[in-house]
Amino acid sequence: MSYFRVSEACNGCLACVQNCPALALDARDEGDRRTLLHNMARCARCGTCWRVCPQHAVEFQHILASSWDEVVVLPLVRCEVCGEPLHTAKMPAGLEPRLAELAPPLCDHHRAARQAAQLRLPAGGAS
Amino acid sequence: MIVGDLKPLDELAASIVGFARVLVLGCGGCVTVCRAGGDAEAHDVARELAHPRWFPRSEPPLFEVRTIERQCENDLLRAFLPLPEGTQAILSLACGAGVQIVADVFEPLPVLPALSTTFMGGSDEPGVWREKCKGCGDCLLASTGGVCPIALCAKSLLNGPCGGSHDGHCELGPDIPCAWVRVYRRLEAQGRLELLDEVRGTRDWRKAGYRGPRRRSRTGVALR
Repeated sequence: MSYFRVSEACNGCLACVQNCPALALDARDEGDRRTLLHNMARCARCGTCWRVCPQHAVEFQHILASSWDEVVVLPLVRCEVCGEPLHTAKMPAGLEPRLAELAPPLCDHHRAARQAAQLRLPAGGAS
Repeated sequence: MIVGDLKPLDELAASIVGFARVLVLGCGGCVTVCRAGGDAEAHDVARELAHPRWFPRSEPPLFEVRTIERQCENDLLRAFLPLPEGTQAILSLACGAGVQIVADVFEPLPVLPALSTTFMGGSDEPGVWREKCKGCGDCLLASTGGVCPIALCAKSLLNGPCGGSHDGHCELGPDIPCAWVRVYRRLEAQGRLELLDEVRGTRDWRKAGYRGPRRRSRTGVALR
């Protein structure tokens, strides 16, 4: 989905293409079709396209607001007690050779609780 | 880019005392890149100022945070920055140019600066910005090896170095390189020391803004 969007009012006059200072807009004429092209990597988000469009067809708000693209999805390890997200499953893989043993998947709170439980003296052990 | 510094929080709090609803407005331009006034800093400021310790005699204001691509363009603000309902003041994290445009657009709403605009500069190393340009309107970098004596010499000397230059440093301190020594070294490396033979005469400082605020217009940029 392109962040550069135009409304139905666009008549393909190419004022935006001709005035874009970042050369982020182009058009392709093939057969009986004209296609308007936008390159987000080049776009300086300067708003010139929006200013010069005689049809007021450029919907610049989409470039300003944008949205989030999913870049990568990785398996996640959570605290085995409360479910708090800790790290991705891939992260410890690179650390294994440098660690004697991997810590159990616990958040700070439950790691402290487990350590305290391990240190606690057996009932009746103190006199 | 334009570099700015966030004002102390007590100064910011004092500037918004008495307003019940304040819009904290970040700028997505230069001050985002120099980590002074972008969306992250706008949220930080709103969160910090919401603490009652800054407002011993009244309730802290209710804050809303918005950030727009650039605050320094009138039509962009008018078209794409609807004010949250009930806004009584705007705390702008833009440079001085942005603050003034915002104040023009939303007049008579009080617009308060959250930054002190400091200089036009660049980043020599990650996280460090240094002043590079005074916007003098008559660039002489072509004859000074790409080192600006107007911005980098404390006296903005057109011919240098002066008698205060010592071991490559300015008399102001060992942490300030002498701009004219840098000019000399650069031109020496380029084999163009003859450029220093010319003595520069008196300069027309009107181009630097001393004849009043400067204005430029470019043809072909249609107005909506």
